[in-house]
Amino acid sequence: MTRGARVAIWLAWLVLIAAVGWGVARHLQISSDLRDFVPPARTADQKLLLDEIGKGPGSRLLLLAISGAPQDRLAALSRGLQDALSHDPAFAQVANGGNDLAEIASDLLPYRYLLSSTLDAHRLDATYLHAQLQQRVEDLSSPAASMLEPWLKRDPTLETLKLAQSWVPARQPKLIDGVWFSDRGEALLVTETKAAGFDPGAQATAIASLQKHFAALPGAAQAKLVISGPGWFGVEASRNTRAEADRFGAITTIGFIVMLLLAYRSAVPVVVTALPLLSGAVVGFALLALIFGHAHGITVAFGFTLLGVAQEYPLRVFSHRRIGIATSQSVRELWPLLATAIVSVCIAYLAFFASGVAGLQQLAVFTIGGLVAAGLCTRWLLPLIVPPARRDMAATPGLAQAWRFLARLPRPRWVPWLVAVAGVLVVAFAPGRFWQNDLSALTPIPRAELQRDARLRAELGAPDVRYLLVLRAPSAEGVLALSERIAPRVQRLVASHAVDGFELPSRFLPSAATQKARQAKLPDVAQLQAALQQAMEGLPFRGGVFATFVADVETARKLPPLTPEAFEQSPLGARLESMLVQQGDGWVGLGTLSGVNDPVAFDALTKATGGTVHLLDLKASTESLVMAYRHRILIALGIAALLLCAAVTLALRSPRRALHVLGPMTLATLLVLVVLRACGIPLSLFHLVSLTLAAGLGLHYALFFERRTGDAREDLRTLHATLVCVASALLVFGVLALSRVPVLRAIGLTVALGVAFHFTLSVLMAPHVGNPLPPEEAEQGERARSASAPRRVRVRS
Amino acid sequence: MRSSRICSRRTLRDALIAFALLASCGAWAADPGLAESLLSGIAKTPPVSTPFVQVSYRGMLDRPLVVSGTLRWLGGDRMQRDIEKPFNETAKIGDGELSVQRGSGEVHRVPLARAPQAGAMLAGFRALLGGDVSALQQDFTLSAQGGAARWVITLAPRTNQLKRQLASIVIDGRAHEPRCLTVTDANGDSSITLVGAMAEAGLRSAAPLQSALAARCRNSP
Repeated sequence: MTRGARVAIWLAWLVLIAAVGWGVARHLQISSDLRDFVPPARTADQKLLLDEIGKGPGSRLLLLAISGAPQDRLAALSRGLQDALSHDPAFAQVANGGNDLAEIASDLLPYRYLLSSTLDAHRLDATYLHAQLQQRVEDLSSPAASMLEPWLKRDPTLETLKLAQSWVPARQPKLIDGVWFSDRGEALLVTETKAAGFDPGAQATAIASLQKHFAALPGAAQAKLVISGPGWFGVEASRNTRAEADRFGAITTIGFIVMLLLAYRSAVPVVVTALPLLSGAVVGFALLALIFGHAHGITVAFGFTLLGVAQEYPLRVFSHRRIGIATSQSVRELWPLLATAIVSVCIAYLAFFASGVAGLQQLAVFTIGGLVAAGLCTRWLLPLIVPPARRDMAATPGLAQAWRFLARLPRPRWVPWLVAVAGVLVVAFAPGRFWQNDLSALTPIPRAELQRDARLRAELGAPDVRYLLVLRAPSAEGVLALSERIAPRVQRLVASHAVDGFELPSRFLPSAATQKARQAKLPDVAQLQAALQQAMEGLPFRGGVFATFVADVETARKLPPLTPEAFEQSPLGARLESMLVQQGDGWVGLGTLSGVNDPVAFDALTKATGGTVHLLDLKASTESLVMAYRHRILIALGIAALLLCAAVTLALRSPRRALHVLGPMTLATLLVLVVLRACGIPLSLFHLVSLTLAAGLGLHYALFFERRTGDAREDLRTLHATLVCVASALLVFGVLALSRVPVLRAIGLTVALGVAFHFTLSVLMAPHVGNPLPPEEAEQGERARSASAPRRVRVRS
Repeated sequence: MRSSRICSRRTLRDALIAFALLASCGAWAADPGLAESLLSGIAKTPPVSTPFVQVSYRGMLDRPLVVSGTLRWLGGDRMQRDIEKPFNETAKIGDGELSVQRGSGEVHRVPLARAPQAGAMLAGFRALLGGDVSALQQDFTLSAQGGAARWVITLAPRTNQLKRQLASIVIDGRAHEPRCLTVTDANGDSSITLVGAMAEAGLRSAAPLQSALAARCRNSP
């Protein structure tokens, strides 16, 4: 095949990858919905968590702090941002202290006697009214009474004010210039996104929009806007991870290219090796798009990691080419072993498909499809574009020496057994937690930001994101009634400092039963007028001044009770909406808590309410989901390991040979675990996936070293290929191990360690490598080098 | 009593205005003309106290409201207003907090930081006591009429927040002492507070007409 034809095919291949990739990118939805990723919820709390995750009242809040300008500028910016956000459909609500609750309460003016608790203890009779009016007279002996006067005529008991005050959070930042300010002089706002808190995509859009609004405000350039909250952290985490991955990606790409140039003394591998891997990835994505239509972001990240095995296929081909032999011939000779590796791994991944978890099934489809595609491309497409070899890699300087060095290493038969036993003991008995269940431990949020979040949260009295008080009842009305019943008990928990503050749904809307009871206590027009007449005796109020009050009470007597649906239309509706949700055929009330000091104190509440009320620890629930997910992965991995053993044994047609392949793999995996455990690193899902990738690479090393070729030069080529593969894996993952991002570090460290152990053990435990190379064969290898290459290897006889 | 906060704010306003009066009790510079020159010489040594009588004229009431008691400046940012008739109420400002107790009832506490305009006014009147006219001028436009023997200082609010509640504060004084503080609200209602000798003299009627009381403030020797 001519050079022109090869370049044309290469170009066509590239274009095909790009075209399919573009098409797939348009159709495949990358979701960040945790429900795609974790197994189905089993407990009611897990179900609530999955339904509500990120939708819960606390997790959608973004806390904002504006600083760096004079106070009046900050106040103006706060008002400007509040105005902009209140018109942005991405935000459900925004508060900066300037919202006049009394104004909001006047929207619900007709309902004030049904919503306020006054009538629980009093009646609108002459005695109560007289006491109230007496107080109003005293209130009026102040020049500032002008503010109250218009209200007094309509609302002499100040019911609207009582309501507004009952809705004010117990703790609030101080007001300066009508807006909230922190103790450090930052203007504070709190806003609720419509998007779920753990939906990084939607949160990123909302945050970008928020930042745009802020930048558009006059004078914003001189001020600084700080954002905090779960949504922000999610966006930050993915941005940090991506930035770090991109940076390391650039470094390792350059290193990889240099290494390829050094290893093959040719530019061809540089422009060609990536093609099978890219083809595999594109095919994997296409299959995901065809079969599922969408994939979870974490699945894709895991899948890409596992697909890294395919990088080895073309490298093996390049190392095994011989002078005068067509590349297609070399590939054909290599193919049985490569195919064995691919098929074995694919069979193993079938276990993931059978797991029943959507995320794992996607992972299996992506990985199997990708590996098969990469393999097929290596077998049939790669030979078309790779020119015939001009060098035999067996003649690489130093390679024969390396072989002899490896061959001379002592190989006591008892060592693997000793290592295995010692390893098991270390893994089992090393102190420290075995598993990392806390996903947030892997998120790269700087400590300073977390501390700032805690500070802003405390200043704003914003609810805790970890705990929710869950109330269950068959109906919304039942939840509200339950909420009313437990409110005094929760108040006692505040008094005993078990919790700093709380907000229950009934704080905003009493149950219909309570509303009706209050309504029944309202006097009719005649009664009220008589009572008012009597109450006003001896007081200086002008006659008839309370006519609108009498009319309002009459209206309230005939109103149907305010329903959650109706309340949710009011400006405060969003608050109630997030606290009252339907789940299955029941209803759930979500009470928010701030400053939970003693979670155990809530147990008594749970007991007293027959389990209808309990404290939901979102962290514990997430961890239980992670544990459930890991359990599935472990089962899948266990089955995969068995399938792999069977496949390898079948392919090699010898249990003994299979043992030579699987032994080093098992032991190397064990050794990685030993190192991680000895360093006190708890294992996360990312470690598990990395271990799997390392095992896949180790399978190659072991399979190729186990191969009996009877040809010293072929053995040298195997060593060359393996060294290039090991070096590239160590380069990529070793650099990753230096990352500040915990996820990347976990992956990098595990794979790099794994590659090192797999290589060492597969060399040491391979049956033939121990046999020293016959001198004449080694010499032949040396002679096979091209004449242009300098002779640096001394041949010992 | 949930309405306490509003009550407290009003009481605070009251107290602050009384504070202004306290500030003006004493030796005035007999320099006729500008309010600035009248105010700039003021320096007081706490504690200072004076009796007061406040008469409020409200649109929704058919007769004026009268309360009386004692105003005290305890030094620093601590002050107290005690209403003794016709009911008992004690309002205290101190340590960044306002506390109000009506009768023997519950003491209601509000941090001053939660009532920013009250805080600004307190700062303004502290400035007045300390003779710091420029601080006072942040919140009010000052003007004065009359001479050293008989004078009137008018404080007109500058900020919108104050203007929403308050039209003006007018202080009538004779030589070294203020007599009456007339506060006119944005809605036209008003109150007249007598202090010092005027308060000691008391009211001549249980429900004095506003015009009569105003004339007394202006014209009595």
